[in-house]
Amino acid sequence: MTEKTNEKQANLTRITFISRSAPYGQNRASLCLDMALAAAVFEQEVSYVFMGDGVYQLLKGQDGSAIGSKTLGNALETLALYGIENVYADASCLEERGLQEEDLLPGLQCVDGEALSKLLETSDTVFNL
Amino acid sequence: MSILHTISKSQDSKLLQNCLSVIGEDDAILFIEDGTYHCSVASSLSSIANGIKLYGLREDMIARAILAHSDDRVDTVDSARFVQLCCDYDKVVSWF
Repeated sequence: MTEKTNEKQANLTRITFISRSAPYGQNRASLCLDMALAAAVFEQEVSYVFMGDGVYQLLKGQDGSAIGSKTLGNALETLALYGIENVYADASCLEERGLQEEDLLPGLQCVDGEALSKLLETSDTVFNL
Repeated sequence: MSILHTISKSQDSKLLQNCLSVIGEDDAILFIEDGTYHCSVASSLSSIANGIKLYGLREDMIARAILAHSDDRVDTVDSARFVQLCCDYDKVVSWF
């Protein structure tokens, strides 16, 4: 039993994605999301972090149709569907932008830099987009 | 001579600071695209002299869910008004 568990863990890569771009100005935010979903399909252990302007992706009430775009906020709800449950926002980045937790989509944890530092340390690979 | 300055990137860029260093007292700023995030950040707006008129492009603000967070100082305008503003001012300077 123990052997089997170890074997399974050996095949798992812990991948952390850091998304630092606002949702609509360029396509970095949606590309980062696509990469994470692809990794999740291959059953890797994925964590997703919003930092800097990336926290703007989390605002409730987005409507991309106003500018002929897909609504990225809706796409983020697919993270849970793909089994990505470790979703974090950098609390200091929210504070700088005057955003409160109630302004944001549900299902994420607001954490400080120290927690994120630990997350990066325990990740095998980090994508920073 | 008055100028309409358009700003199309968020606070992470230094576009607003660059613009403010050369802005004239009769000028106005129109925030578009990712620049509309400035409309929700008090520290951004407080760095702009009171006499400067501020506009935000409504479509971009709706897409980004910024309308509800926008400061009272910002006048939201639609695309048609954007065109009108370009005609009302002598020049348009784009910061992008």
